[in-house]
Amino acid sequence: MVRIENASLSFDGVEALRGVSLHVPRGVLLGLMGPLGCGKTTLCRVACGLESLDTGQVLFDGVDITTVGPAERRRAYRRCGMQFQNDALFEHKSVLENVGYPLERLTEQSAAEIRGRAMERIAMVGLFGTENRLPNELSGGQRRRVAVARACVTDPELLLCDDPTAGLDPVTSRRILDMIAGIRYQARNTVVVISSDVLGLMSVSEQIGLLWDGKLVAHGGPAALWQDSQPKVRRFLDDAQLPLGGGF
Amino acid sequence: MALSEGIAKLGSVFLAASAQTGGAAVLLCSVAKRLVPPRFDREELRRCLLSMGYQSLGIILATAFVVGIILVLQAYVFIDRYGLRSQLGWGAGFVTIRELGPVLFALMFSGRVGAYTAAELGTMQVTDQVDGLRCLAIDPISYLVVPRVLAMIVSLVCLTIIGNTMALLSASLVGDVLLEVEQHTFWGALLERLTPWDYLTSVLKAGLFGGIIAVTSCYYGLSTSGGAPGVGRSVNASVVASAVAIFVVDFFSTFVAG
Repeated sequence: MVRIENASLSFDGVEALRGVSLHVPRGVLLGLMGPLGCGKTTLCRVACGLESLDTGQVLFDGVDITTVGPAERRRAYRRCGMQFQNDALFEHKSVLENVGYPLERLTEQSAAEIRGRAMERIAMVGLFGTENRLPNELSGGQRRRVAVARACVTDPELLLCDDPTAGLDPVTSRRILDMIAGIRYQARNTVVVISSDVLGLMSVSEQIGLLWDGKLVAHGGPAALWQDSQPKVRRFLDDAQLPLGGGF
Repeated sequence: MALSEGIAKLGSVFLAASAQTGGAAVLLCSVAKRLVPPRFDREELRRCLLSMGYQSLGIILATAFVVGIILVLQAYVFIDRYGLRSQLGWGAGFVTIRELGPVLFALMFSGRVGAYTAAELGTMQVTDQVDGLRCLAIDPISYLVVPRVLAMIVSLVCLTIIGNTMALLSASLVGDVLLEVEQHTFWGALLERLTPWDYLTSVLKAGLFGGIIAVTSCYYGLSTSGGAPGVGRSVNASVVASAVAIFVVDFFSTFVAG
């Protein structure tokens, strides 16, 4: 589905990605984790074409979206849904309008169809009854849910969730991760989730990628990561204070 | 050492100003590219025209009313001393239509609409809403910038025409009351001595200033970084840059147009 090859990217001389290569097969839920500032968000933005690489390739079903023209790139955008770290909700639009907006812009559906579909997604993320509220009338957790609902309303082939659990309590955090796993199960799309809730992420992901200082230091199943003896992997898991044994 | 430091500082200021001017010029070219053939959001244009034009009417009318009164009060002494009452209409009309109206209304417009636009786009930029639009395959220039540029140009032209009229109405009323210059004398002198070129200059200047405010505020808004303080810096820079650009362009346009 998505193959990132030898991706390197710097911002003002600071290397955000250093030769990252990653393959996310179709239908897989990949959890991306790592310490703060290790390049997780940048990698997500690269995957959906929001950042241009210094070197390397991003292949979307074999097509390198870093070299295609604007029209082809827009077509690639249409196949992605992204939930941004700080929600990126349109503050002047209601919950219903926010969730229905991608359908309004990207599809030819009628207003009634859009409303029905958006309401379905709102109910799916447990926010039925809030559809007429503005984003500033919602709690942090509710805003995240709206952002996830908006990102997946078009059933994108690739859903990217950039830290949907940031700043949330463990219970809400786990509910949101379970909800994303449920969406993936229903829509059968490819999902990449970044989260600082390591245990939660390991419990819902089929594959885990660990980034460290702009490099992908580990990639595989949660159980394999748990067995990994690399010092950086051990240090990260120790710092995450997972329960002994891990259970994977 | 102090001299070299001074030169270095001057150089960095020059480079920063060049980068910003260049950035705004690139944005202007991007806008022009999307106008032929027209590729912009018409619903957003309608919304912008309403919020930028119609809702600025009150402040422009109030400013214009006071400007007309001040104009006559300032001219009162000289008009009276030199016995030029019959020329009050021409004087007030010339100053308002050619110079004071377009510049003053543009500055008011920049403070209200330009600052708001820089803050709005800046907030959208730092909260990833602009990237959110890109992810929906929506071109932010077509969706956010082009409607704002068109709306600001059209709004400022209309507001300047309305404001000029209001300023002259208040000037003629105060002239009538204070200087006993009758209405028909005031309007007669104004209509007789002002040429179509004077009116056209006013409209052209208003359009030019509207474009300057639009491109400047959109440029600073979209290049915002650094969270809430960054938005504040963008608004500040946008208002200052717009004011400076308005005065510079006004100088050259007056120089060229006479």
